[in-house]
Amino acid sequence: MVQPTYSEVLGIIGTTLTMALLSTAISSVLGTIFGLALERARFPGKALIVRINRTLMGVPPVVIGLLVYMVFMRRGPFGFLDLLFTIRAMVIAQVLIITPIICGMVYSAADRSAGRIRGFGRTMGASRLQSQILLIRELGNEIYFAAVTGFGRAISEVGAVMVVGGNIRYKTRIMTTAITVLRNTGDYSQAVLLGGVLLIIAFLIQASADFIRRKGARADENY
Amino acid sequence: MKIIELEKHFGQFSLKVGGLYIEPGGIFGLIGPNGSGKSTFMKIMAGIMEPDNGKIDYEGLNYRDMTMVSRKPYFLHDTVYNNLIYPLRLRKIKPAPDLVDYFLSLAGLKQRQYAPSLSSGEQQKLALARAMIFSPKLIFIDEAFSNLDMESVSVFERVILERQKIAPATWVIISHQLSHIERLCAHAGFMYGGRLEAVGTIKEIFQNPENPLLKKYLQYMSF
Repeated sequence: MVQPTYSEVLGIIGTTLTMALLSTAISSVLGTIFGLALERARFPGKALIVRINRTLMGVPPVVIGLLVYMVFMRRGPFGFLDLLFTIRAMVIAQVLIITPIICGMVYSAADRSAGRIRGFGRTMGASRLQSQILLIRELGNEIYFAAVTGFGRAISEVGAVMVVGGNIRYKTRIMTTAITVLRNTGDYSQAVLLGGVLLIIAFLIQASADFIRRKGARADENY
Repeated sequence: MKIIELEKHFGQFSLKVGGLYIEPGGIFGLIGPNGSGKSTFMKIMAGIMEPDNGKIDYEGLNYRDMTMVSRKPYFLHDTVYNNLIYPLRLRKIKPAPDLVDYFLSLAGLKQRQYAPSLSSGEQQKLALARAMIFSPKLIFIDEAFSNLDMESVSVFERVILERQKIAPATWVIISHQLSHIERLCAHAGFMYGGRLEAVGTIKEIFQNPENPLLKKYLQYMSF
């Protein structure tokens, strides 16, 4: 691989952030809805669904990548959409990987405290909608932590995005796949440098999210 | 409020209350040993728990007209102020500053204190203030005075009696402090083993108990 130029690195960073932030946002919404719905629902086989979700939380990303590839390849059922080797296909794969993680974490948190929160809402006279808003608000910390975990997974993923994105230069190359290429060509110093940039970006995004979240959230602590 | 043929079963334990009428605007005490079903009965009356059988006639009132304060009340991850006015916010009522100040001084708290990290006594005072601020018609209190010092108990007893003159409500109070029930309530019921064993005026319950289980309980509690 020819050493990436400054503008190419900026492009790679942009693609990485677009993919990671978009897939985290979509997965956070879906994972939260599924997690809360799963906690709320009472049906035979619920324990099985929870177990399947837990299994999906640990599924190898490359397997998801392969499935998405087969669905969107030219001869696949959705081949006509022409999504393969685009950022959109990478986001779809990431959403499939991250959503079960966020769903599982939100479900566990809701399973522990939703009954108490809903009971409280009821004693305060909250309507069904107000109770749901209350639940999401009170589980805010847990939902936020699940989203942060999802983002960490999205920005560090390499297997699935390599398969469905194709690691195409100037198009679908992201930081992790670029690092893989640099390693393959023996350009270790550039690979480590890019890895460092990836870590710094992840740190800055999480620190900014923490700052925005905490700002004004708490008043005086009581000691 | 009329309770008709109420039943709730949990494994070995069963709650059965044939019938009970609680006068509107009255303060009704519920006493009995631990595990007698008082809290379960109260949760059903407050609409937090569904009975297996039977029904409750609220005589035109609904869940927005009632509230419940438990021994370990729930608090929003927020300030004292936002917790205090939460029932008003749910009803889209603008909190009157005088009313807020009155209840804050009653609880001895400041607006910007963080509610979940208050002491248990302070939390109980805040929960009682929050229950009264929106003038509900039905108030259920489950041992919500248990962590208060004698001075605070006396202040809240006085406030309850004063507010009964301004905004009369029906109160149902569970307490192990029998003197407290004697001072506040006009009628009381005694529960034992999931059954409502005795109902009567305070005089009938405390001075002329006919039920042998109640007699034994009062003797035990007087030690």
